[in-house]
Amino acid sequence: MQEEFKIILFLCNWGPHVAYQTLQDQRAEIPLEIQMVRIPCSGRITKALLFKPFEMGADGVILMGCTPGSCRYGTGTEAARQNTADTRKILNLTGLGENRLELATFLPDKSEALLNFITSFVARIRKMGKSPVTPRPMLQAQDITEDNSEAIVARHDVFACQDCGKCTSACPLALAGKPYSPRFVATEIIAGRANTPEVLSMVNACLTCGTCYERCPSAVNFPEFIKDMRGYYHGRELTGTPAHGGFFQSMMRAMTSEKLVPQPWQNLPESIRTGRQGPVLFYGGCAAYFDIFFGRFLKVRTRRIIEDSLRLLNFFDVEPAVLENERCCGHDLLWSGDRENFLRLARLNADAIAASRAEELITACPECAHTLGTEYAKHGVELPVKITHIHEFLEREIDKGAVAFKPMGLSMAFQDSCRQSRFNGQAALPRKLLQHLCNDESHLVKSDAASPCCGNCAWTGCDAFSKAMQVQRLEGIGQSGSQVLITACPKCQIHLQCAMDDVVRGNDLKTEMMDLTSAIAKSIYWE
Amino acid sequence: MYKQIVITGFGGQGVVLAGKIVGQAAAIVDKLESTLVQSYGPESRGGACSAQVTIADGPIYFPYIKNPDILVCMSQSGYDKQHHTLKDDGTLVIEQDLVKPVGDRDYYAVPCTRYAEEIGHKMMANIIMVGFMAGITGAISLDAARSTVEKSVPKGTEEKNLKAFERGWEHAQATLKGRRHKAAGKPGVVA
Ligand code: SF4
Ligand code: SF4
Ligand code: SF4
Repeated sequence: MQEEFKIILFLCNWGPHVAYQTLQDQRAEIPLEIQMVRIPCSGRITKALLFKPFEMGADGVILMGCTPGSCRYGTGTEAARQNTADTRKILNLTGLGENRLELATFLPDKSEALLNFITSFVARIRKMGKSPVTPRPMLQAQDITEDNSEAIVARHDVFACQDCGKCTSACPLALAGKPYSPRFVATEIIAGRANTPEVLSMVNACLTCGTCYERCPSAVNFPEFIKDMRGYYHGRELTGTPAHGGFFQSMMRAMTSEKLVPQPWQNLPESIRTGRQGPVLFYGGCAAYFDIFFGRFLKVRTRRIIEDSLRLLNFFDVEPAVLENERCCGHDLLWSGDRENFLRLARLNADAIAASRAEELITACPECAHTLGTEYAKHGVELPVKITHIHEFLEREIDKGAVAFKPMGLSMAFQDSCRQSRFNGQAALPRKLLQHLCNDESHLVKSDAASPCCGNCAWTGCDAFSKAMQVQRLEGIGQSGSQVLITACPKCQIHLQCAMDDVVRGNDLKTEMMDLTSAIAKSIYWE
Repeated sequence: MYKQIVITGFGGQGVVLAGKIVGQAAAIVDKLESTLVQSYGPESRGGACSAQVTIADGPIYFPYIKNPDILVCMSQSGYDKQHHTLKDDGTLVIEQDLVKPVGDRDYYAVPCTRYAEEIGHKMMANIIMVGFMAGITGAISLDAARSTVEKSVPKGTEEKNLKAFERGWEHAQATLKGRRHKAAGKPGVVA
């Protein structure tokens, strides 16, 4: 029996649609695999939309637009070209392969060429075979877990809330001027009004930064409460729109397919030494995907953090093994309410990690460290390894002596990672490492308390107020006279860079950023 | 094999105990011969004092040491008095913060007093030094050194002392690692 293939054709309304219609009028043999979706302009199909069909099981995707120069809106074709190029790179990393996606442009009278293109694309996809992604059926009503808002409230003892409002007065979103109140969320859900649009959007907007939990006299663990509430909404398809069209959630869901073989370690610099097996396993995280996705407009280079971590491990004579087909840890799925797919990823990762037979897993991403170190066990997925963040490894090795540091000679501000500093209670650790980089007291990071959130978590609920709070934070850093902002999480770099690139502010908010791991890599040497 | 080790310092630093541990580790655990000569006298009140340890795989006929193979200096005065006695191809080991060596002879340094303070027991500097010296010179084996430290220190302090020993041992490993990297022309991460 012939296998059924599904190929999505995003077809621009203008030039190529005319050509396509001609084919239809002529009753030409358009391959049955093609499922056409008419779109207003190829430039409006974002990377998220280009990827979404793959998450849902498509075997190939064609984006069809107008020939350059004939775009009705001027820049449509160029935008389509860039989006396709980036998405193709990401398809390579995820193991789907770039050849499953193609951009083609046609003039209205080129129906024959269009048909030829489609036919050869279908042949190519047939040759590549079915997509390794197994589509997940949409949740049905009967699949919805028994969890309800009363149970969630009881589980986190939100009843203990004294209605004091300390959380609201500390919440960075409220401080940025957003009409937002964790206290209100707590009382509304207690009162059984979880399903109102207002509460829903607030639960979605929370940064899960944990600042309120630090202040709460009743120790209401708000982030944990929010996490469960998002799971509750997700089960009922009430979740709000994620940032960037849900691209990252989509990619992570695709990774839950066992047959998919991601290739995240492509293009590692040759000088970096990694092994196939050994007692230490290095877990990279999603930085490589971020760099492609944001490379064009934010120019972030978060993969450097992974490379510098590996270089530092090599520096200390550790040649770590890596999981050749490493998948995402699932943090963002968990924190956007998709527990089901989080668990799928967690189980696949746990198997791969166990098979590596490593004793210790080192990662440079605070979210991976927290998720692998705490959340997996909480969800019943046991890992047979010790989880170590690269900062802990560095502290341990530096403590043994015989190394020294070239001081940075710059005054530094520090951006804490919520997962490291508040969730894992390790705010002192990066500060201790930072001290090595200063030869002058005045260059030290002043505050012992963790800094406010970078403005987004798990690609949910980014809005004008997130921007406002990022701008506040950057202005504060500017006023403090700091010359460089040291970060501890790749995502902080992305979100803060996003605020710096605000066109209205010009160069006002621009601050040099460097990850702590990279700063140490630059400065450390054998004495 | 015939190794002559001199450990110097000032009274109270535990120089003699350090010498005793080295000698016993060699004799009792590593099954070699060893002798210890300790200098008493006014030194034990804070002046320079020293321990002379000889380790050999055959009989030792003369326990005194004129030109050591390994010289361990825990104080400046000890260094000043002894450094010229060290053999040309001998190994110099010093307390990093207390001894400023002269000339351009190569040496190995460990801030053992500072480390001991970090552990919370200043008098364990000598144990850290034993760990460091053992790690650098290989004069006694790791197992021998560990088990002798355990037996030689006051009851109840074994764990702390083993930690101190390991601190010194690890500093030695880090030092040797650093030398390998520098010799390979890679002193830094990027270079
Ligand atoms: S976790 Fe952060 S963003 Fe969410 S309510 Fe608490 S302080 Fe506000
Ligand atoms: S700080 Fe705690 S007790 Fe106070 S209002 Fe917020 S959740 Fe309730
Ligand atoms: S801050 Fe910028 S990069 Fe981050 S989620 Fe919002 S829009 Fe995206």
